[in-house]
Amino acid sequence: MVYSKNDWNKLLKMVCFILVPFWILNVGQCLVQKDRFDEELLLKPLPSGHVYAYFQFTTVWDAPSGPQMFQHCHLFPRALGEVAGRHNVQELHVTLTEGLWRYEYWGFPVSDAAPGAELWTWFRNDTKDVDNIWKKLTGALSGLLCASLNFIGTPNSLSPEYSFRPTGVVKNSNLNSSFVRYATLPREIVCTENLTPWKKLLPCDSKKGFASLLNAGHIHNTNYHSLGLHIRPVCKDAKCTEVSIELRQTVSLVYDMMILGFQNQDWSLRKLFGLGLSGPCPLATSSFIYVDVTSNETGTPYQLQPEPTEVITSIRGGYESKFKVYNIQKMSFTHMLNIVATYSTPKVYAVNVPPVLYASRYIVGYGQERGGIVTKIHNNHWKHLDIIYLENIPWFLPIYLHTLRVVAGGKEITPILKKYVPGKERSRPYSLEVLLRIPARSVTEIYIEFDYVFLKWQEYPPDANHGFYIGSAIISAYLPVGKNYMGLPQAGPTIYSSFNASREGFLLQLRTESLIITLPTPDFSMPYNVICLACTVVALAFGPLHNITTKRLCMKDGNSCNGLLIRLKSMLFKGRKPQAQAH
Amino acid sequence: MDSLVFMEYALAGLIRFWLLCSDYRQTVADRVEVSTPLNSWKRVTEGAFLYNEGINPYDGDLFHETPLGLFVFKYMIQRLSQWLGVIFIICDLLTAHLLYRTACIYMKELIEKQTLEKSSYAKDTQGLLLRNEDLKLSPIYVASAYLFNPYIILNCVGQTTTVFTNLCLAATYLMMVKGQQLPCCFALAMATLQALYPAMLVVPASLYIAKKNTCGMSDRCSQIYSPWATCGLFACVLFFLLYFSSQLSGSWTFLHSTYGFILNVPDLRPNIGLFWYFFTEMFEHFRPLFICAFQINAAFLYLVPLTLRLHEEPMLLATSLTALTAIFKSYPCLGDVGFYLALLPMWKHLFNYMQQGFVVSCFFIITSVLGPIVWHLWIYSRSANANFYFGVTLAFATAQIFLVTDILFAYIKREFSLHFGLQREVNGKAAKLVLE
Amino acid sequence: MRALLFFVTIFYVNEYVQAVRQIPDDILRGNHTNNWAVLVDTSRFWFNYRHVANVLSIYRSVKRLGIPDSQIILMVADDMACNPRNPRPATVFNHRKQHINVYGDDVEVDYRGYEVTVENFVRLLTGRLFPGTPRSKQLLTDEGSNILVYLTGHGGDGFLKFQDSEEVTSQELADALEQMWQKRRYHEIFFMIDTCQAASMYEKFYSPNILAVASSLVGEDSLSHHVDPAIGVYIIDRYTFHALHFLERVSPDSMKTMGEFLAVCPKQECISTVGVRRDLFPRDPHKVPITDFFGSLRPVELGINYLNVSIALPLTENTIRPVKQEEKYHYAQQFPTHLFQTRAT
Repeated sequence: MVYSKNDWNKLLKMVCFILVPFWILNVGQCLVQKDRFDEELLLKPLPSGHVYAYFQFTTVWDAPSGPQMFQHCHLFPRALGEVAGRHNVQELHVTLTEGLWRYEYWGFPVSDAAPGAELWTWFRNDTKDVDNIWKKLTGALSGLLCASLNFIGTPNSLSPEYSFRPTGVVKNSNLNSSFVRYATLPREIVCTENLTPWKKLLPCDSKKGFASLLNAGHIHNTNYHSLGLHIRPVCKDAKCTEVSIELRQTVSLVYDMMILGFQNQDWSLRKLFGLGLSGPCPLATSSFIYVDVTSNETGTPYQLQPEPTEVITSIRGGYESKFKVYNIQKMSFTHMLNIVATYSTPKVYAVNVPPVLYASRYIVGYGQERGGIVTKIHNNHWKHLDIIYLENIPWFLPIYLHTLRVVAGGKEITPILKKYVPGKERSRPYSLEVLLRIPARSVTEIYIEFDYVFLKWQEYPPDANHGFYIGSAIISAYLPVGKNYMGLPQAGPTIYSSFNASREGFLLQLRTESLIITLPTPDFSMPYNVICLACTVVALAFGPLHNITTKRLCMKDGNSCNGLLIRLKSMLFKGRKPQAQAH
Repeated sequence: MDSLVFMEYALAGLIRFWLLCSDYRQTVADRVEVSTPLNSWKRVTEGAFLYNEGINPYDGDLFHETPLGLFVFKYMIQRLSQWLGVIFIICDLLTAHLLYRTACIYMKELIEKQTLEKSSYAKDTQGLLLRNEDLKLSPIYVASAYLFNPYIILNCVGQTTTVFTNLCLAATYLMMVKGQQLPCCFALAMATLQALYPAMLVVPASLYIAKKNTCGMSDRCSQIYSPWATCGLFACVLFFLLYFSSQLSGSWTFLHSTYGFILNVPDLRPNIGLFWYFFTEMFEHFRPLFICAFQINAAFLYLVPLTLRLHEEPMLLATSLTALTAIFKSYPCLGDVGFYLALLPMWKHLFNYMQQGFVVSCFFIITSVLGPIVWHLWIYSRSANANFYFGVTLAFATAQIFLVTDILFAYIKREFSLHFGLQREVNGKAAKLVLE
Repeated sequence: MRALLFFVTIFYVNEYVQAVRQIPDDILRGNHTNNWAVLVDTSRFWFNYRHVANVLSIYRSVKRLGIPDSQIILMVADDMACNPRNPRPATVFNHRKQHINVYGDDVEVDYRGYEVTVENFVRLLTGRLFPGTPRSKQLLTDEGSNILVYLTGHGGDGFLKFQDSEEVTSQELADALEQMWQKRRYHEIFFMIDTCQAASMYEKFYSPNILAVASSLVGEDSLSHHVDPAIGVYIIDRYTFHALHFLERVSPDSMKTMGEFLAVCPKQECISTVGVRRDLFPRDPHKVPITDFFGSLRPVELGINYLNVSIALPLTENTIRPVKQEEKYHYAQQFPTHLFQTRAT
């Protein structure tokens, strides 16, 4: 049956009238829980001519603990909350990324992500059967984010010991690494179908606020784009006897202005996102846009329009950065806000000053029998650096630990600590964590050999000749200086909290390239042929041996021993016989 | 003759030493025909390294030696790393010497047996009989066939653990012909510990020992040396070795990595056998069925029939079983093939009756040359595919099968001719020899 | 006597079988209560761009006519929109003049990439999915659901290829639909297939209430429509192009019938002959509105009584945490500096 428009209107009114009492009750309950939502956008022109745009949507919720925890949600997305609650998650980090962050030219991002899908989780201490619940969690997340995260399971998950410490609050210092799981799917693509459910988790969806700038056609036309979801427990107050849940939804984008087709270097919100900003999200406590103008003094200068609300100078780890801040909630919106940066002089490509630490990784060797993986870590600091190097090698690439060699500046150095979990075919990947002290101003090479494995024909994906991916290596370091550093401090969730947030050290996690190798393939069209041929050869032995063992040699009379062919011949050539005899 | 043998040893040692010191050592060690997942020295090094780091080598699935082997090889790698190559060469030369002694004793036995049965032979079979020169020639041929066999040389230069398995097997053969029960069982148990399949040799060994130790009227003596007693002793020694290994490694999990690996064939790395491509292309739900079928074929299928047929000749039985194992086992290598090829000169009196000698030798040469070529084309040039290498391995297996069956046919034909004479006539008419 | 007994037995057995196969009256007379769509693209690789454009065109139409995302299962075997070869990222066009971006801004793909397999497809249809499968990947239909099933890709006589490595045969598909019927998982199905020799896929159907249309008969190839010279591949197939042309003129309250839709591509446009199977469908297609399958019915029940709603699934033990204790939390150490100090030289 088809209902007419009048019917729908009447129905809507009736429904509103009936359900309003329910609404009031619910809102009343929600007012009891405190939550706040902040939206921030950081824009930074990079020295290489790219523009870095980083969105962060932070929801902090003083959630009541207990089984009703995620049933009365206000700003916190209920879909995600239920997934986290049902699977006993303490901390969850999901990222979907396309592209590689080029540390050498772009510096450090606010938060880094490996190419493809990356997922790591800390489960609560009372979780039983972590592997089972991990599989269920990845299945639930795959439905929530429209990604193939359900391919994550124990055959490609690790439990790193040193690299992925909880970023949130914990009760006791003894961390049991059996409760952490890390997995990556380098082949995973990120496209509009991932952005759509991601946007639906925001309080204002994509209708108001900064999320209205996230237009699929524009944000996927970038060198690097990454969506992130990070849930962690944080201290509710200074006493820290209670916890709040913090959800950070992040989008990292790096635009190449040349690809966008504009002839000059000028950038603006309209050029980057297709439209300007129409206003803040009404549910947000604060909405800020920060433009990092540190390079305005050193590089080619540009002018920003309109004028910012304030200018903040942040000194962090010995380095000074300058930000121009737009407080969106204090601005009036008679028309769409478009922040424009105009360059008065043509772009000068200066000599690139790389950051203190960056790495790259590649495969050596030829042929499909054996090879090696080399990771090159560049240390540009005047002092040595302590790093943790994590390799995540899938099970179909067995590595030989005795071939591990670390060479820095021509000299071989011994790792301080090694943790190696050997992989098992089809059930566990190879996990190698190496703690190193790399010398100052040097290039360290870490080399390890591997073999190519021959898989069963059903284990190859439909496009077997594309190759198999090896996930990125993760290098964690504790930088003593804050040069190029943009990471968020552990205590504060927002970008604002990172200003002037000097600490003794700054945690940095670099991710290298993901690698791709082509495993030798069998002929996929041959199963029946192979079975027949191999069984034939086996039968070739069976026949004669059977004859030898079950029969006896005997001498038989000439005629009766003739085979069929000879008898046929004698019948055909009966006539010739007398001729032969005559000779 | 002895000086000739010593010269052969020296020359063979020199060849091996020269190849070990050259650049080709790593190439040979890396070849799939020479090193399989079971005998590769790189994996032994990896296992020893993991053990030194405090990681259980049986946690992963790279290492497939028993804990006893791990212990011995770890010691070798740690203390004797400069002398590793020399140790392999010495083991190889020792194996050759053991085979030489085996052949000497066996030929003596054959000639003695011939002299005993001469009266029952047919009149015209003078040409078929063994001569006294064979007493000296055959052992030299056996030793040369082992020392200068290219397969064995590659096996030694590649530093595979098959060298040690061959040594244990050769010791088994020697103790078997000497009739010494306990050393034979011990050597056989050591060989079985490394590679599961030599366990079948307990049957010919027990038959030979029972035959050798004819105790006359003593009941007790015949009980000790009966076949059942030998089998029981072998089982006890094997269990003792396994128990000792489990104590060394702390648990019985090593069985999954060693015997479990040999029986389940999880690693599908190409080798000269038939298993790898068959199980690459096998449907998953038929896999257990065909694993059982192939393992039974490799181990048990021909044991009972051949035993019944050749119980008079346990040495030939042992050789054919060794050969059939080398063809049909799950991870064969060139060292296994070379070992049984070295035993064949003991029956050079059968070569007259072999019909397929030319075909077999052509097959051997062609497949040995073609194998590495199509491997390179598949894996390095990426212009061929897996079917080429599979075809070459099939041809190689066929050649070996023809060789073994030919030898056995030649044996029964010679036996027939010895007893019934060389004439092929029945009632004055031309007749044929048939199997019925 | 014995012959008579034999014939009587056969007669009664036949009657019994007929009775079992008789469609219950309430289903025959009743109307559907909700609409679902299962849209599958089975081809991988860039040169099969047109198959992705096909399925996204139907997705767009179906969504525009009212079926919500939660009732659409979209399976796309390869990514064209964000493919590095696509010069216009996050867009898929079905016409070289780029009239409509069929990928849209709010697409939700349920099965993508390597997940599009024969096993997953059959499990989806029959409902035999693994426990823990998320809701968006399940076909939660009931006996009042009208389902639109659309398949596109490369096919042959009696099979449809999935990702160039496996295929589903027409017998398997017919059996899957029969399982759906036995489990009362559909009211009526409209089966559309746009592949070569597509009619062979519906020839083996034997379940009632299925109306099937195929873009070509057995022995014919379905052809593609035109090339987009900017990207160098064919971007839409003929049958789907004309079907979309028709559907673009349909609005949610349209009175167009299925009979008109079945005649949407005559031979001079499609070059291949469109095949239709209507013997399993009791109603006359000319009397069935097109929104029965392409639109969506939203059942609404008006009531003025209060309802007691209880939670369907009890929360597991794991989510019950102890009442707040006065324990102090602290931030975990992010980097184990102590390991470096004790051991480094």
